[in-house]
Amino acid sequence: MKISLNWLKEYIPVTHTVEEIANKVSLTGIESNPVTLSQGLDKLVVGHITSIKPHPDSDHLNVCTVDVGEDEDIQIVCGAPNVADGQYVIVARHGAHLPEGKRIKHGKIRGIESNGMICGLDEIGVPEKYVPEAFQNGIYVFPEAEKTGSNALELLGLTDEMVDLDITPNRADTLGMHGAAWEIGATYDEKPDIKKAELDDAKVKELSDVTAEVNDPKLVPDFLLRELKDITVGESPLWMQRRLWNQNIQPVNNVIDAANYVMIEYGQPIQAYDLDKLQENKLVVRNAKSGEKFTLEDDTEKSLSHNDLVVTSGTQILGLAGVAGGISARVTPDTKNVLLESAVFDGVSVRKSAQRHDLRGDASNRYEKGVDNGSVSEALQRAVQLVDQTGSVSEISQEIVGNKTEANPTVITGSIAHINHLMGLDLSTDKIMKIIDQLGFEAKLDGDAVTVTIPTRRWDMAIEADLIEEVIRIYGYENLKGTLPSGMETSGGYSPKREFSNKLSDSLLSQGLDEVINFALLSKTEVKAFNTKKTNLTKLLHPMTEDHEYLRTSLIPGLVNNVAYNQARNNNDIAIFEQARIFDRHQGEDRPAEVEYISGAISGNIANDSWNTTKKEVDFYDVKGIVEELLSFTNAKSHFEYVTTDEITNLHPGQSAFITADGQRVGYIGKLHPSYQSEHNIDDTFVFELNIDELFELNKRKVQSQTAPKYPSVSRDLAILVDKDVESGQIVNDIFTNGGKYLIDANIFDLYQGSHVKPGHKSLGYHLVFQNPNDTLTDETVEQAFDVIKESLVQKFNVEIR
Amino acid sequence: MSLNDKLKDLRKNGINEAKRAERLQELNDLRVNLLGKKGPITKALRGMKDVPAEERPEIGTLANNVKKDIQLAIEEKMDELNQQMITKKLEDERIDVTLPAQSRTIGTRHILKQTIEDIEEFFIGLGYQVDAGHEVEEDHYNFERLNIPKDHPARDMQDTFYLTDELLMRTQTSAQEGRDMESHDFSKGPLKVVSPGVVYRRDDDDATHSHQFHQIEGLVVDKNVSMADLKGTLEALCRHVFGPNREIRFRPSYFPFTEPSVEVDVSCFNCNGEGCRICKYTGWIEVLGAGLTHPNVLEMSGIDSTVYSGMAFGLGPERFAMLKYGITDIRDFYLNDVRFLEQFKGVN
Repeated sequence: MKISLNWLKEYIPVTHTVEEIANKVSLTGIESNPVTLSQGLDKLVVGHITSIKPHPDSDHLNVCTVDVGEDEDIQIVCGAPNVADGQYVIVARHGAHLPEGKRIKHGKIRGIESNGMICGLDEIGVPEKYVPEAFQNGIYVFPEAEKTGSNALELLGLTDEMVDLDITPNRADTLGMHGAAWEIGATYDEKPDIKKAELDDAKVKELSDVTAEVNDPKLVPDFLLRELKDITVGESPLWMQRRLWNQNIQPVNNVIDAANYVMIEYGQPIQAYDLDKLQENKLVVRNAKSGEKFTLEDDTEKSLSHNDLVVTSGTQILGLAGVAGGISARVTPDTKNVLLESAVFDGVSVRKSAQRHDLRGDASNRYEKGVDNGSVSEALQRAVQLVDQTGSVSEISQEIVGNKTEANPTVITGSIAHINHLMGLDLSTDKIMKIIDQLGFEAKLDGDAVTVTIPTRRWDMAIEADLIEEVIRIYGYENLKGTLPSGMETSGGYSPKREFSNKLSDSLLSQGLDEVINFALLSKTEVKAFNTKKTNLTKLLHPMTEDHEYLRTSLIPGLVNNVAYNQARNNNDIAIFEQARIFDRHQGEDRPAEVEYISGAISGNIANDSWNTTKKEVDFYDVKGIVEELLSFTNAKSHFEYVTTDEITNLHPGQSAFITADGQRVGYIGKLHPSYQSEHNIDDTFVFELNIDELFELNKRKVQSQTAPKYPSVSRDLAILVDKDVESGQIVNDIFTNGGKYLIDANIFDLYQGSHVKPGHKSLGYHLVFQNPNDTLTDETVEQAFDVIKESLVQKFNVEIR
Repeated sequence: MSLNDKLKDLRKNGINEAKRAERLQELNDLRVNLLGKKGPITKALRGMKDVPAEERPEIGTLANNVKKDIQLAIEEKMDELNQQMITKKLEDERIDVTLPAQSRTIGTRHILKQTIEDIEEFFIGLGYQVDAGHEVEEDHYNFERLNIPKDHPARDMQDTFYLTDELLMRTQTSAQEGRDMESHDFSKGPLKVVSPGVVYRRDDDDATHSHQFHQIEGLVVDKNVSMADLKGTLEALCRHVFGPNREIRFRPSYFPFTEPSVEVDVSCFNCNGEGCRICKYTGWIEVLGAGLTHPNVLEMSGIDSTVYSGMAFGLGPERFAMLKYGITDIRDFYLNDVRFLEQFKGVN
């Protein structure tokens, strides 16, 4: 809410600039910004139209003679439909600056000299929707005679300086001028002088025309009415109107304006009804019936829910409680008798109704954050007083009570020592008591114990911690010296699993893969694409878009999107990985398990053409190499194997494998299926995905240091011819099975498949290394082992030794 | 010709030949030819028998000197030729060092991960444990235990992705507070923990909003935790992240799970508080929210709020990285254009 300094001056002395106040309030209480209206506007004065005649050359223009407080009147051509002789108007003089850089100069309009412009409020900075309806399509006319030549902006409140309070939800007490005056006053050690609204006792009568009833007192703790008779509905005085439009409220008439004005003053919403339009002289606040219809003031119809609270008279719905008034008993210019309502409605109920019907506004905003139930009655009295002042009422009823809840101040007890302790300060008791007093709270001291009575206007305060906040903010956070917690020493660190996953991602970084971060919420197609665990999908109850509807089951779809995004931008050579969670929901459970994965995608060249190299496109074995290096960092004792698979639909059936650790699947690797690649418009891409949680659980190697071998190794080369479907992995496994304890290595150095070998066969060459750590190997020993290896291969795979 | 003259002649010729040689082989040949057992000097010395006995020692000395001189000439020439060869080899092997390298590329850690790890490591140094928590969380921990009951207006601040009525994508890493507090054994010392991770909000993605982003929550619960401790800790953090000369300031704010609550501003690292575009000419940049743990939150975790107090803070790695590196669009973090990613190599 914007706090006008002119208005604030009614309660406390204002001795600082708007910038200083905003800054100070921001640091001690509520985030604030200075607002200066009509900045850069000038030469706008009050003019009095002394004569008017039609423009000779136009059917809608008039030529006006205007007294602008100088010796000679000036002539202005005006096109507004509502211009008339004798009006007091806003005149932009020659050279005047208007909003948006607009400048007024004298000149001729259709041949007639015009020395300025008669303005509407919207032309000098009041947004059109807050301009009184009568002046919305024309010039503004002052309600009373004003001194010609005087500053029009000032008269219209448009030179007001304001502090815009951007409140947090707990500080709704400053959504009224009184609360704001208390808050700003506390900052400057000034107690506001707030006058009680007095009624003309002679007019207050026992009237028994109207009664009120509240069905659920819990939802409506206060519901008070006052009846006002024989009022004159008309335009409000300018002082009230200008304060309203500066609050972004459109002035309507003296009754509705008074209600709105009191809301700004007290923060207490007031509703007005035309008494003569009520179906029955009894107001009932009840829950609406499901589907019940309600027509708003602007004639739109709402279908109500049984959770909506409504104010009714008979079958007539007067308003959606705390949210919006209706058309049925609206106060109009011909209204004679008025009923004013001041009530407290349950915040949650109001918030939900306002949300349900998309009707959040000034009143609902206050109810949902809370209002001071200690000033409901007084605010009503103030509204009555204002209507009486402007509408000369004949009779005023006593308070008509539908429900009334006693407002009790909160009492907080605290300890001076504890307050200091939690602040980390050592303020004197006097200093703390002084701050409490500055806030307008009454406090009693009993040794170290302090008992503070919190006025109802600060309903946000309930416990000692609230009091601590008040004391320290008024004392000033800038006076607080930083320290570090002084408790027992603790050892910080990552969890073992986090250390483990860091190690794995480091191994990928060091192999040249960039790390990416993708969204966990994906489309249905995406979460199905690599659901290799065949987990149950987890869906959001209320997704925003189909793109982000399900929790991911794999990191691959995100990586594929990254490859596509990059390749579309000519970043063709991509090597990326992601380490994040996937969601694995077991049958019959709502909550998915969160499983840490590490996955990569590589596409394009891993070496480029250069002056001394030729390019190399990534292939399966490059990626397998990366994965193997990563797996070596798991420090697992397990034997990792690559098991050919054609089970993963979106992988190439001839170039993919499950990765197993001692037979247990821990991930997979493969080339993306050509059709999947073309769907995503990407080049040949290889991916891998590993389950960190499973890798973490594998038994770790126990490393026992061995001295480097002192004896020479012996090697033998083995060349074989074998059926092309036999996998090298099978051969190598067999070699190790039969190679004896001195075989330490078996590397393939040649693979040939083509015209020089038997059809359906391939030629393989292996380099075998034997070593005895404790002795020099004899040729005989090696030859024996070599023979066993060869013999087994011949028997098992029908190989031909070459 | 006297033997004497003959030897002198041999010396002269030998030295001349050595000087004229152009290849090492010639010099080796020369040595064998002149100085070997079948060489002219040996041969000449056979005429010694004709030399009078008293002259023999003189001739002998001369012959040795001749050998030495020739040997020296050959060695000098050899050194010279060797030197020439090395010079030539070095010249031949000259390369253009400005040609591009054979790259050995290490990948780049995502800038958000770098930012998070930098902050984690700062807190590990102060004795904090790192506990990542759950991305799918119960309403109970994400809201109720943080003093945000159903229908609390603060729930409006963060529209939530629900999975069921009771399960949701956590909207804040503060959701970990309740779990950390209830599982901590206070007899073993204070609870000091940071919880980094992904959080989710029902926001439309644009330059400043993302439905998925990161947070780091910090929580300390002990018998003597104060606002001053909070200020000192965050001061040290901001100096670690934004530079040693940074100041911080607290402004009152509101979070349901802390009381008092503050917003924390850091003095602008770009203009040193003079005022610039980055700090919107205020000299200060809002970087995080913090406060003392609300007594209700402690009590709900079974902690006696009259004995213990807590401090908590929550910060956004995206915001930190955006500020520090001038990133203007939050979506850049999630598009993963490698040109964007790789510019942050080695920054932390």
